[in-house]
Amino acid sequence: MIPVLHTERLTLRAPTWDDFDAYAAFRGSDRAKFLGGPFTRAQAFEQLCAIIGHWRLRGYGRWIVADRETDEPLGIVGLLYPEDWPEPEIAWSVFEAGEGRGIAHEAALAARDYAYNTLGWTTAISLIDPANTRSVALGERMGCKFEKTFQHETLGTMHIWRHPAPEDLR
Amino acid sequence: MTAPLTTERLILRRPIPADWPVYRDFMMSERASYFSSSGDLGATWKAFAAELGHWQMYDAGLWAVTFRDSDTIIGLIGPWHPPHWPEKEIGWMMLSVDVEGKGFATEAARASLTHAFDVLGWTTAVSYIDPANARSIRLAEKLGAVLDKAATSPMPGTLVYRHERAAA
Repeated sequence: MIPVLHTERLTLRAPTWDDFDAYAAFRGSDRAKFLGGPFTRAQAFEQLCAIIGHWRLRGYGRWIVADRETDEPLGIVGLLYPEDWPEPEIAWSVFEAGEGRGIAHEAALAARDYAYNTLGWTTAISLIDPANTRSVALGERMGCKFEKTFQHETLGTMHIWRHPAPEDLR
Repeated sequence: MTAPLTTERLILRRPIPADWPVYRDFMMSERASYFSSSGDLGATWKAFAAELGHWQMYDAGLWAVTFRDSDTIIGLIGPWHPPHWPEKEIGWMMLSVDVEGKGFATEAARASLTHAFDVLGWTTAVSYIDPANARSIRLAEKLGAVLDKAATSPMPGTLVYRHERAAA
């Protein structure tokens, strides 16, 4: 049900319970502060379940980004459209183990390619907390342009960054 | 795919995306104010997605409870077991106050417990209950569950009710 994608260094695959410790450590850390966290392990469990349920509800979702050789989970990247989002987005989060190696960029490019060329999306955004400078830098690296602010009920002010359209990437 | 369970008046089946509108309408109403996600559409949607995801991962989870002659979901009852919890839980939530007081939750919970013991192979089961949730405590007691003061709860402040196989 959840497709597997490969990039040069990474596998994008369905989450399993073996990923839970790495995921819960990430959700419980300061790295989750731009995502409404940190969260407890009980909350992280529900969130990991919800990542899988998202695929069922939308037909697409987010993958665990794993090292192609070792299968170590390095982050969560993919297509996210919960009910309280302005439109479907390309989302990325990197665990501590995946930091500083261009992992998010490599995985986000694969996710965008999947959205445009497999699902037929004609546009895509990324929602970014303006204080999350590293995420903003990645958005810019992917060619995104700041579009407008979005006020989320619980997460506060987010910035909508628009990705280049499929035809602009060909 | 797990086969549905049938009781005298109810069917327990795997939850499906089509159950979302009923779940949403209940959780977004004031009647659901005792749920933490109540009134928050994003949190409610994620909680519903988590129910589907739990099934996907474990091939088990909270069953969608429906009447035998209607596929409309009236509640969710069944297994919930985060990998870090000390024990497996049977959880429940009824999504309509209109059906309360008629023993439907009891009937569904009994079927779910029997399935957990007989098919899933559980040897014991607990329910973690907020001490302020009198209705839920009554249901646990009606099912024959006993307050287990020695058991550890993964959620501080909640009571641990233990179900025994014979009681199911």
